[in-house]
Amino acid sequence: MSIVRRSAILALAAASLLPQALAARAAELNYLTWEGYAVDGFISKFEAASGCKVTASYVGSNDDFAAKLAAGGGVYDVITPSLDTVPMLRLAGFVAPIDTAKVEGFDGIYPEFSKESDVVADGETWAVPLIWGSVSLIYRPDKLAATPDSISVLFDPALKGKISLWDDKSALYWTARYLGYDNVFDLTDEQLEAVKAKLIEQKPLIRKYWASAGELTELMANQEVYVSNAWTGLTSKDVNNLKKGFEVVEFTPKEKAEGWMDSMMLVKDSPNEDCAYKFMSFMQSADGQCGLAEATGYFPVNPKAVQGCMSDALKKERQVDNVEFVKSLVMWQQPARLDKYLETWNAVKAAP
Amino acid sequence: MTLTRRTFPGFAALFSLPLAWVLLLMVVPYAIMVAVGFWTRQFPLFYPDFQFGNYAQILADPQYTTVILRTLKIAALVTVCALLLGYPLAYFLVFTIRSQKVRNLLYMSVIVPLWVSYLLRAYTWKIILGTDGALNSLLVSTGLVSAPLDIFLYNQTAMVVTLVYIFVPFMVMPLFTVLDNIPRRLLEASEDLGVGPFMTFWKVIFPLSLGGVVAGATMTFCLSFGDFVAPVLVGGPDGTMVANLLQTQFGAALNWPLGSALATLVLALVLILLQLSSRLDRAGRIDL
Amino acid sequence: MTSSPIVALDGVAKRYGAFVALHETDLAIAEGEFVTLLGPSGCGKTTTLRLIGGFEQASDGRIAIAGQDVTESPPYRRPVNTVFQDYALFPHMSVAENIGYGLSVRSGRLEKTERRRRVAEALALVGLEGMADRRPGALSGGQRQRVAMARAVVRRPRVLLLDEPLSALDVKLREGMQVELKRLHRELGITFLMVTHDQTEALALSDRIVVMREGRIAQIGSPTDLYDHPATPYVADFIGAANLLEAEALGREGDVCAFRLVNGATLRSRRREAAGATTGSRVTLGVRPERMMAARPETGAANALDCIVMERLFHGDCLRIELAPEGGGKPLFAELARTALPATVSAGSRLAVHIDPDDVMVFDAGGGK
Repeated sequence: MSIVRRSAILALAAASLLPQALAARAAELNYLTWEGYAVDGFISKFEAASGCKVTASYVGSNDDFAAKLAAGGGVYDVITPSLDTVPMLRLAGFVAPIDTAKVEGFDGIYPEFSKESDVVADGETWAVPLIWGSVSLIYRPDKLAATPDSISVLFDPALKGKISLWDDKSALYWTARYLGYDNVFDLTDEQLEAVKAKLIEQKPLIRKYWASAGELTELMANQEVYVSNAWTGLTSKDVNNLKKGFEVVEFTPKEKAEGWMDSMMLVKDSPNEDCAYKFMSFMQSADGQCGLAEATGYFPVNPKAVQGCMSDALKKERQVDNVEFVKSLVMWQQPARLDKYLETWNAVKAAP
Repeated sequence: MTLTRRTFPGFAALFSLPLAWVLLLMVVPYAIMVAVGFWTRQFPLFYPDFQFGNYAQILADPQYTTVILRTLKIAALVTVCALLLGYPLAYFLVFTIRSQKVRNLLYMSVIVPLWVSYLLRAYTWKIILGTDGALNSLLVSTGLVSAPLDIFLYNQTAMVVTLVYIFVPFMVMPLFTVLDNIPRRLLEASEDLGVGPFMTFWKVIFPLSLGGVVAGATMTFCLSFGDFVAPVLVGGPDGTMVANLLQTQFGAALNWPLGSALATLVLALVLILLQLSSRLDRAGRIDL
Repeated sequence: MTSSPIVALDGVAKRYGAFVALHETDLAIAEGEFVTLLGPSGCGKTTTLRLIGGFEQASDGRIAIAGQDVTESPPYRRPVNTVFQDYALFPHMSVAENIGYGLSVRSGRLEKTERRRRVAEALALVGLEGMADRRPGALSGGQRQRVAMARAVVRRPRVLLLDEPLSALDVKLREGMQVELKRLHRELGITFLMVTHDQTEALALSDRIVVMREGRIAQIGSPTDLYDHPATPYVADFIGAANLLEAEALGREGDVCAFRLVNGATLRSRRREAAGATTGSRVTLGVRPERMMAARPETGAANALDCIVMERLFHGDCLRIELAPEGGGKPLFAELARTALPATVSAGSRLAVHIDPDDVMVFDAGGGK
């Protein structure tokens, strides 16, 4: 069966695969990741140290990883999906298991992440934790009458046309939590229908679903929207740095913020496996962990690595050695019925 | 006949490359697309099959018909607006501008925006229509409104405006050609026969320009129908068009069979439209 | 012209920037006349027609049609209709729709049945019954020409303007259409104003011809007038053909004037205009090729020129001979009956040509080139 699976996809991708395979040479790394995860500073250090040239491509959501791999297998070597997408990529056969002995500094990672049930499966490790963080809400204090404390601000008719939401299935999680469901990643059909109805009801209040962190920054900076869910630490920093004459503020709603963890996965049959392991090792070093944490505002997964490169204040802010913080978050998991969730979210977007 | 046969090898050599091109890059991909439309999907993968489940799903689930109807509506609106804008413009260029030089210059200025990246041109409208945008600045500074309005951007009107702006050259080009080819003598003849300029337009110029109208409308309609950038850039939450749906099915939703079935339907729709328009065009074809 | 003219141009001029297409011109055309504007391309004849039709605006002067000042009127408010050079038929309409077009609008609105009757009448007039439903694209050149005629006359204009109406037809068809035009003019009884560069057409059809040159009227007259009494060497050469010879007036002997040519030979003229030439003045003589007769050399025939035959061309009914005058001068052409010249006379032979003094036209040397 797996041969049929693979040949089906390979046949479809044959035209795009061929030139890419020819172009794949030694000493290079094709990195499919999030915007902001491949900024020059630490990537150049890696290139200088390893001799591997990094070519980065970007995704807008976790669902893009599988889509891009299905469309052109062999193009990417390392991908960085969030934890909730890790099992799906393993089941689809897009990735290879990791030889953790080849990843320097692997032992320094919080075991809460490196031994996580979605990371370790079938007796193998499938992902190398990279960075983690939370998704909270941001808002314009000068535009909201009261200080918000709940997800309900995303559904407030008074903010009609000034609300944004990430264009992602996670919209379902937020709505489910708002509706009081605690089985966010395993909703029943009735619950999913209720979530869908609520999101369609919310549509007239939405100015725009944001597709990338950059777009949300723009929406906020241009005063198109006053409230949205956002990557904690990133968007508020970016908007406030633009000095538009107003401030945006982050807050954790009483229904909790969402937590996520991105990890590196090795694409199956990667011709650049050597560079891939060098890269994964580098990202567990002080240069890699501090570099990425600085560039994004997110939290390092390897407390050992960042001991020497972060101030105590920053360590506190970035929850270093405070993995207990995870418990205050709703950590993403792969929904039990991922395709049903995707269909529901697409139906919401297609609705009038 | 004999001549054709004798020259056949040369003919074959000359046309084999473009033929192979068409076969490899048009016929084969379309065949694959149609075939995949009958496959089965078992998330996250799909398997070769022959069944109509994907088509059944498209017809049964209102989200697909909603989007197809919306796309038809937007494409029709864009076509009508482009015609209402493009026709007077082409008419003005051909009949009002006397100097050939000025006319060509103005015509080029209509065409030149096509050299600018599509994305850039669509993005421009975001800057114009936004809450902090140029239009609102103008309205506020002239005192027409007291606070910036957010009714211009992120809705279907903004999509229509952007698409009209982007595709209006495709309307003007055939109209310009057709109007420019109408002998001035015919207009003189009409006036000579006691018919004023207004009726001359309706009875002579317009009927003779129908070919250009059909060509321009077909191009504008098909281009808008397949657009997926305007909804992303300037469309709001209710802006999803067929092309976005396709993008989602091949991307995030990872449902190529459904996407292929949808693409096949869209292709059929466009082919029917082209057939109709070419029939309309043939019916109105006139030797000038 | 005692009654008021149907078309009157009073000091009409047309300029395009610095270029003058038509100098200040006066012209009066009487009701029912067939008048032709004749001249080479660029002479202003088409401009004049377009000014009358309303397709161009006069830079100066007034235009009146049927007593109404129409100088500022657009074409659709003028009681004239035009047959265009390329016919300008509407390609998207049938023959009947083309002809009925001018009857369906406000200014010429007619009841449907009346319109149909008029269209049928016009079709019959030009002999195109049964073609009513054809598209112009399916007609021959001659048939299109007839449709254009029918379309123009169906509105019963006071004046029919014809812009080179026959120039797009081949020679055979053109001659047939000339007869047709003449018949139409007679049957309709309206004024025809035609533009042509073809002098035979003008001579055959017109009551009067207006010869134009470089934006001015060179001469107006009946065809015979213009042929017999051209006012200038230009008209003489344009209407028919003329050998033009530089000469000096020698003086009068009774009703005959003598002139000396550049080669020393003498020609005499008995024409009226010869009387005006003062002795010693320089003039231009005009002799039509068809008025030259062959005389045997050395017979001392009166009023003859001794020449050398340079070329002998057979033209069917006549011979066309190129001659070099003995003693120098421009070559001459003579048209002789084919029986008038023995076959032995060929290139190199000597030949004297005799001209009746009544046929030697005299133009003032200063009077036009």
